[in-house]
Amino acid sequence: MKTATSAASGWPFSTVLVANRGEIAVRVLHTVQKLGLKGAVVFHAADRNAPAVRMADHAIEITGATPVAAYLDSAQILAAAKSCGAGAIHPGYGFLSENTGFARAVESAGLIFIGPKPEQIELMGDKVRARNFVEKGGFPVAPSAIEDDDPKTFVERSRNVGTPLLIKPSAGGGGKGMRIVRDLSVLEAEIERARSEGQRYFGDGRLYCERYIENPRHIEVQVLGDSHGNVVHVFERECSVQRRFQKIVEETPSPALTPQLRAQICETAAGIARSAGYRGAGTVEFIFGQGGEFYFLEMNTRLQVEHPVTEEITGKDLVLEQLRIAAGEPLGYAQGDVSSQGHAIEFRIYAEDPGRGYTPTTGPILALRAPQGDGIRWDSGVVQGGEVTAAFDPMIAKLIVRGTDRNDAIARAEKALAETVLLGCKTNTAFLRRLVVHPAFVAGDVHTGFLDANPQIAADPPMADETLHALLAAASLSTRPMRDAADCVPDLHAAIGEWRN
Amino acid sequence: MQHAFKLGEAEHNLALSRAREAYCLHVGDRRVPIDLKTSPDGRTWLTLGTRHVEVVIATRGDEVFVHLDGEAHALRYWHPLERLAAQAGGGANDLIRAPMPGSIVSVNVKAGDTVAKGQTLLVMESMKMETTLVAPRDGAVAAVQFEKGQTFERDAILLKLEAAAGEGA
Repeated sequence: MKTATSAASGWPFSTVLVANRGEIAVRVLHTVQKLGLKGAVVFHAADRNAPAVRMADHAIEITGATPVAAYLDSAQILAAAKSCGAGAIHPGYGFLSENTGFARAVESAGLIFIGPKPEQIELMGDKVRARNFVEKGGFPVAPSAIEDDDPKTFVERSRNVGTPLLIKPSAGGGGKGMRIVRDLSVLEAEIERARSEGQRYFGDGRLYCERYIENPRHIEVQVLGDSHGNVVHVFERECSVQRRFQKIVEETPSPALTPQLRAQICETAAGIARSAGYRGAGTVEFIFGQGGEFYFLEMNTRLQVEHPVTEEITGKDLVLEQLRIAAGEPLGYAQGDVSSQGHAIEFRIYAEDPGRGYTPTTGPILALRAPQGDGIRWDSGVVQGGEVTAAFDPMIAKLIVRGTDRNDAIARAEKALAETVLLGCKTNTAFLRRLVVHPAFVAGDVHTGFLDANPQIAADPPMADETLHALLAAASLSTRPMRDAADCVPDLHAAIGEWRN
Repeated sequence: MQHAFKLGEAEHNLALSRAREAYCLHVGDRRVPIDLKTSPDGRTWLTLGTRHVEVVIATRGDEVFVHLDGEAHALRYWHPLERLAAQAGGGANDLIRAPMPGSIVSVNVKAGDTVAKGQTLLVMESMKMETTLVAPRDGAVAAVQFEKGQTFERDAILLKLEAAAGEGA
């Protein structure tokens, strides 16, 4: 990495405002400050004592009907940027990161939006439009039939998609009203049933059909594009370990890809980004079938939660790349210059109880000890003395491990998860430890429905007597009334008790 | 003197006494010599019989959090008076508390209803997920504290149970 001040000298901004919170605000500020730039952050009162607020050169309070609403308030964020003299805004992920209106407002205010052009966010933000754009470019999309294209031929076109197929409500989401068809003789009956469900759930009976991929994997590719037309990919990430469509573990390289498939999927992603003239860091997501077929799913026009695994195997600081691109610099390297080494896995540390259906938990962080050691990275937005509340997303930290190969990374991960101490609020670390040694995970044989199909991995295992006794011993000796009661029995009696043994 | 801790749903009875060296834990028919010491470098060591193991402990009120063998556990000291009340037929089991902050999606019972163990009492929503709360035992609904759409904090009392009419308390 280039040294700070010289790298950023001559850039059109000297202060960067981070319009986000938690671990990603810390992550972005870290690179900004390392470059010798000033880092500013907005914060809601609920985050007053958060690490990002403490480390920022300027921290500007924003308000809202709810804490989340504050971070979605463009006007307040732009005013904050003005007040601290920020020349650029980094949106992080979530919140306003993929909001076309915000990106435009930032540019209209004469500031630099650290991300793609607003029209690129707009293009990729609409699933159907993005899919059509990608298909027109000659890239693979799942075979499908959209009723709106021509309602009269919808059934016939659905038939041509082939089985198994999935009927989805056009207005839908969250899996509601979806039906899998494996036998075309029931297609019409299932279409009618899906229509009435769509009507009931969303007040809209329009449908579309697409090829259903059995036990699919989620593989995505990191891309970078500059404002001079250069685009490269920075390899793939596999994010198939999910619960209820939310990622828990991400790794790179994907254990599912042969070198040929890896090159193919990465080149496809770079091609899609190139065809859009993409600027900034982005991620092209694919659905990957057990037979090695893959189809475009969507493109995320921002930095991803799981970006660190890419950084760990390539040595690239993706936030630095985003800043350089925003400053107008060319990438300065070609595809052949991007290489990877070793294996990296990220674990999302969630405040939740996997044994109870992954329900969120809240509580004070009474003790926090991050794991340490070679190949261990801890990206966190919480500190000891802080509190996990229901105001925000339950992801409180990310553990990233790097090893020489996948088995080495898994071994380091198991140790690091065991050494992660967080007391006061239940987290998923014990579950992650069980997961990382599960034969299916070790074999790299998982799909996006794996955890939902194997709920026993999330269940708390029965406790050994010795563990129970150790816990009761530790708790007894830490509970004042118990110690006091024991201590007021005279030593003589205790001594007699011993003799009787 | 008998004490108890709750660990998850389970209640564990135990006693603690002085021993010549340190303390003795009485649990079931077992007596185990135990001790808890902090070494000069600030690390905490638990002795259990012949075993010495490092632990990290944090407390808040009656709650004790223990990191042991790579996992975090939460225990709650259950006061003798509270237990007595529970054994008399009232107490903790009669209060249906919110396991997490959220809002009420539906209330499936009303005051006066007789309910069977496992029956759905209400459905709540927290962070876009629905959770069903069921009756922990047979009984009757004494009071419903929240209506559909209302929000609440963790541990809020959502509903109260009492012994069903005709049932010996």
